[in-house]
Amino acid sequence: MRLFGAEMLALRKRAATYVVLGVLLVVMALIYLIVGLSPFERGAAAGAALLRFPGAYAGIAQIVFGLGSLLGVTYAAAVAGGDWSWGIPRLILSRGESRLAYVLVKAAAVAVMLALGVLIAYAVGVVLVYIAAALAGEQAGDAFGGRALPDLVESLLLGYPVLLERAAIAFAVATLLRSQIAGIVVGIVLYIGEGILTSILLGLALVGRVGAGGGVNFEPIGPEWYQYLPFSIGNGVLGGISGGASVEGGFEDIFLRPVPLEVALVGVGLYLVAALAISVVSVWRAEIAA
Amino acid sequence: MNTSPIGPVHAEAEVPAADAGDYAVTTHELVKRYGRQPALNGLNISVPRGRVYGFLGPNGSGKTTTLRLLVGLMRPDAGTMTVLGQPFTWRDRHRLFSVGSLIESPAFYPYLSGRDNLRVLAGTGPPTPRHRIAEVLQYVGLTDRAHSKFKTYSLGMKQRLGIAAALLSDPQLLLLDEPANGLDPAGIVAMRETMRYLTAQGKTVLISSHILPEVEQLADVVGIVSKGRVIRQGTITDLLEDTGHIRVRVSLADMPAAAAILGRVAPERPLYGVDSGPQAGTFTVGAPPSRAQEINRALAEAGVFAHSLQGGSDLEALFLQVTSAAAPASSAAQLAPPDAGGSK
Repeated sequence: MRLFGAEMLALRKRAATYVVLGVLLVVMALIYLIVGLSPFERGAAAGAALLRFPGAYAGIAQIVFGLGSLLGVTYAAAVAGGDWSWGIPRLILSRGESRLAYVLVKAAAVAVMLALGVLIAYAVGVVLVYIAAALAGEQAGDAFGGRALPDLVESLLLGYPVLLERAAIAFAVATLLRSQIAGIVVGIVLYIGEGILTSILLGLALVGRVGAGGGVNFEPIGPEWYQYLPFSIGNGVLGGISGGASVEGGFEDIFLRPVPLEVALVGVGLYLVAALAISVVSVWRAEIAA
Repeated sequence: MNTSPIGPVHAEAEVPAADAGDYAVTTHELVKRYGRQPALNGLNISVPRGRVYGFLGPNGSGKTTTLRLLVGLMRPDAGTMTVLGQPFTWRDRHRLFSVGSLIESPAFYPYLSGRDNLRVLAGTGPPTPRHRIAEVLQYVGLTDRAHSKFKTYSLGMKQRLGIAAALLSDPQLLLLDEPANGLDPAGIVAMRETMRYLTAQGKTVLISSHILPEVEQLADVVGIVSKGRVIRQGTITDLLEDTGHIRVRVSLADMPAAAAILGRVAPERPLYGVDSGPQAGTFTVGAPPSRAQEINRALAEAGVFAHSLQGGSDLEALFLQVTSAAAPASSAAQLAPPDAGGSK
């Protein structure tokens, strides 16, 4: 517990903790401001989905676990890599701290910070929904009444493990590379690269389905192998949030069948464990020379 | 009891004698390679308890590697170690609860204050009472800047915080790698007093340093390492007993002839240093000061009249002598006097 307290102190005083959350909240505020001020037909389905509870939770989840995943990846890589850049493992391990405890407690502290960030973002999101609904002249409804509360809990329970898994992958990458900058860059490149790869492979599959007369078969395909990649598998979980499509959504939702929720959850869990195992083994075997 | 800027000094306290075989640190045939490059090549050191041990050696001789192995940051390829009387491997983490260390440059969170960095550290390793943080900050003279961020510290202040961190858990054994790095003269004096205070309490300090006069003042025992092996080890008194140097100052024109004569007069203790000035040059010959008269006579008989001869015996001379003797031919050539071949 002392080590956990020490890690929390280090994270609590770190500017990145607040910068990452701040970026998420500012972007979320801008999105809801634009939605609230956009002229759309009163009571239209799209507007209602974003500005009326319980459906509004799906919108909040899209932002928190969509953009939030990218920010979570950045944050976890910065925390893990920063330590190596500054020589902190040398300092802590030479005081007799166990390597296993060092890496797992650091990961746990990041997980707690991410959980706090998600809760704050959800709270701000609820307020923003009310503000945007007022601006749009819509009725937001009760954020905690009827189906809203179960939907809120469900979106948190499904979304948080995905955020955690993606952050854990970045944490492992930064730990392996032992560098803050390299960890952040590689983490983001992997995260975005996987999305681009998925789009390209899906595009190629669709091109292959163009008929001789130029007609396209709109029947969804899949699940395809690239939907099981580390950052993509979470979309299958996020797609299971009531009222929400997969977060990265877009045209992939139309043409790809989602990975079944249970399978996606198992996949997320496996990748999470694997990422932690890689971090542990990397620190366990590390010859710390600097 | 005096009070130094970095803590109380018990000048009157007796240094406890180390029993034979009672060592704070021993290494036996320790081997470590970086790829195919050997860093330690069968290192054997014995650090008596309750003493300051000076760990000396040229750059790349394996000093820092040894310290890394002693705190489990690396694993040896062969050999064994004991720490505080018990066998030590990198898995024996709890043994390090009684060890404080400052290895290489001080490493801290740059965005945290000195105090917060120590608070974080107090949460690692052995349990540390809260008041200890203020205590060690006072020891190293950082109380006034305790709330400033580490990244705003000067090199000397960072070093002081590093020493504070090493002292945090009130360790029985202190491993310090170049602790005087960046310290101002007052800081060096304060550090020296702290080391003496600690050994007066029965604690052991292993100090790796290039500042030989500093080590000579501080250490009771030294180990000189070269190319990953200890080439001399013992108390300073014993090591300096049959060691000495004579500095011979001659005109530049006489330097080649002097080099030849000095090489002949003391062939078993070769020339190991030459320092040329604008008018004259100085040879440092590895020979006891008692041979100054003999050397002067040999020079005079060859028509070389020395400006001065100065005898001495210090750790620097011993260090230069034993490490240049152990150095490869290319290094020895760098120490040869100019025009020693006699192309006058």
